[in-house]
Amino acid sequence: MLTAVRELQVALLAVLLLGGFMTKVWRVLRTRSLAAAMDPAALFPLRLRGPMVAAMGAIEFGLGVALIVTARRFGTVNQGLPATVVRVCAVLFFLVAMAALNETRQRRPEAGCGCFGEFSDTPIGWRTITRSGVLATAAALTIGLPPLRMPSSPITAELWLAVLAFELSLLAFLSPELGEVLVRLGYSEPCEVRSLPAGRTLTALHSSSQWRRYASQISAAAPADVWREGCWRFVVYPGVARDRRVDIVFAVYLQARRPPIRVAVLDADTDEILGRPELAAAGRN
Amino acid sequence: MRHLADVPRWCDDVPDFAGPARSARRSLLKAAVLGRREEPGYPPAAMGEDGAAAPSVLMYTVTGTILDISPHVLVLWTELGEQRFLLASSAAAWRGGKVAPAALRQGDHAIVRRQHPSVPVIDRIWAQAGRATGTIIEREGPATLLVDEGPGNGRKIVMIASEAAGRIQVRFPRLEPGYLIDVIGLKHDGFLHALIPATSQPPYRAGHPPAPPLASRHVPDPVNGTAVWHEPGEEPADLLGLAYPALDPEETCERGGPARPECAGDGHEIDPHATGPGCVRLPYLSMGSMLRLRNDCAQRSRTVPVTSCGATARLFCDRCVTCGTSSKGRIADLTMAAFVELGGALEDGCFTATMTIGG
Repeated sequence: MLTAVRELQVALLAVLLLGGFMTKVWRVLRTRSLAAAMDPAALFPLRLRGPMVAAMGAIEFGLGVALIVTARRFGTVNQGLPATVVRVCAVLFFLVAMAALNETRQRRPEAGCGCFGEFSDTPIGWRTITRSGVLATAAALTIGLPPLRMPSSPITAELWLAVLAFELSLLAFLSPELGEVLVRLGYSEPCEVRSLPAGRTLTALHSSSQWRRYASQISAAAPADVWREGCWRFVVYPGVARDRRVDIVFAVYLQARRPPIRVAVLDADTDEILGRPELAAAGRN
Repeated sequence: MRHLADVPRWCDDVPDFAGPARSARRSLLKAAVLGRREEPGYPPAAMGEDGAAAPSVLMYTVTGTILDISPHVLVLWTELGEQRFLLASSAAAWRGGKVAPAALRQGDHAIVRRQHPSVPVIDRIWAQAGRATGTIIEREGPATLLVDEGPGNGRKIVMIASEAAGRIQVRFPRLEPGYLIDVIGLKHDGFLHALIPATSQPPYRAGHPPAPPLASRHVPDPVNGTAVWHEPGEEPADLLGLAYPALDPEETCERGGPARPECAGDGHEIDPHATGPGCVRLPYLSMGSMLRLRNDCAQRSRTVPVTSCGATARLFCDRCVTCGTSSKGRIADLTMAAFVELGGALEDGCFTATMTIGG
C-alpha cells in the first residue's frame, strides 16, 4: 500500500509543477506583461520581482522535467543519486513555498498566491498553505524510491487508481483554484453583462404585439427616455389616452430572440398608473 | 511647477450626473412596469426596484465652508446658509492628519458627520480632504505627478509631500507614466498635496487589469467588494450618489449624448471602456439606477442613486482591508458625502461594501 502511494507521487508532482509553470506562462502571454504573474514574488522588492518570477518558473519547469527524466533508469546511475537530488530539491521547493505563503499571508492578506496563474487570485488561506505542506510530504515520500514500473497486476493497478483518486480529492479540497476552473467550464454570459445595442431593443419592441397594441396612443416618433438596468431595458414614449397626456413605459428583456416585454401606462402629470396588463394578470393567477 | 490651467482637459470632462429628480422618475417608471418586489408577477430575474423616490438627502452628513471654529462650536456656511454645530467631547478632526478641531482654519472646505440625524452635534470633521485616483501620465521631478482620473474627471496635479514620500513609495513603487495611483491628501488650489496611500499599487500597467471571475447564469446579487470615494468635481458637494463602474455601454460618460465634433480624436491616456469589465463582474446599469449599499465595517446602509460614471474604478483590482479583507474589485465610487454618510472615514479611502441592485 505504502509503495503504491510512493510510486504515484513522482508523476503527480511532475504534473503539478509543469501545470503551475504553464499557467504562469499563459498568463504572461495573455496579458503581455510579466507584471501580471508577479503575485508569487509579492514579498520581494519591486526590482527583484521579475527575476524572482522568472527563476520560480524555471525551477518549476526544471523540477517537473527532472522528476520525469529521473523516474526510471536514468535516475539509477550512481546509486540513484540524480533521482535523490531532484526529489530533495522538490521537498525544499515546497517547504520554501509553504513558508513564503505563510509570510505573504501575514504581510499582504489581500494577495493571491499566483501558484496557478490567473486561477489563483483568491487570498492565501490555510488551504493553500496546507497544500504546499502536503506536496512537500509527497515529495519526501519519493526519496529512495526504486525506478518506477508499470503495475504488476490488476490488483496493484486498482490500488494505484484508488490512491490517485483519494489524493486528487485531497488536493482538490485544498485548492481554491478548482471553483474558478469549474465556473469557467460551465460559463455562459449572463444577460446582466451582455452588451446589446439599444437599436436591437427598439427593433424587437417595434415588432412586438405589445407595441401594436399601444402604437395608436404614442404621440412621438422617438422615445423620451431609454435606459438599462441589468437584464431589462426601459423605453418611455409620450402618448395620449382618453385625452390625457400619458407616458407609455416598455420593459424589454435583453435576449436576442422574442424577448418578453412588459408595458405600463402612467398619467404624465400625476404619475397614476392607468394600465399594467401583465402584472394585473399575474395577480389574478 | 505646472498649473492645472496649463493641463489640457478632454471634451468629455464635462460631467453628466443624474439629479435626484431623474433617479426618482426612472425608479417610479420602473416600478410601474415591473412592479414592486413584493407584488405577484415580479420577474425573478429582473433587477430590484426601489418604488418611491429614494431619500436622497443626507441625514448624518453636512458639507460647507468653515466660518468659525472653537473647541466647542463649529460654524459652517452651507447650502442652507450659516449653520452652527456643537462638537461632541469625542469629536475628531482631520486635516492632512488627526488634529484638534480648533486647529482647523476659516475658509477650509469641511465635511462633517453628525452623531444622530437632525441633532446638531458632530463627532467627525474632515477639512480640505482630496484624492487623486487614476493613471500617472507625467512625472516631473521626484514628487510631482500628472494624473488622468478618467472619463468625467479630467486630470489632476499631485505633489507628494516630502514627509509622506517614503510611505507612498512603499505602497506605490512605480510612480511612472502608465501605472496607477490612488492617494489621499490635502486639496489645494490646483493640486493635491498627497499624504496617504489609499491602496497598494496594482502590479499591472493601467490598461491591463485582470479579467473578472466568470459568473454562470446570473451575476450575484448582492455583490461584495470595495467602495471608495471621489472628490465632487463639478457635482454638488452634498450629492448623495455614486459613480458606477459598469454603466450601460450605450450610456457612458462620453456617449451619454450626441458626440461633438471637437471630441474627435480626443481620449484619455487609458480608456477604461477599452480595458474590459475590470476584475469584478457587475450588471450594466444606467444613470439614475438605485442601489442599496451597506458599509460592512460600520453596518450602515443607504439607498444611493447612480449619479456618474465610475469607469476608472474598473482599473483597480484591489481589496479593502479596513475591516477584514473584502472581495477583489471596486464596486462603487461614492461621492464624498455619500461615503461619510455611510459611516466611512475619508482617510481610510475605502470600506468593505455589499451592494444590492435596485435597493
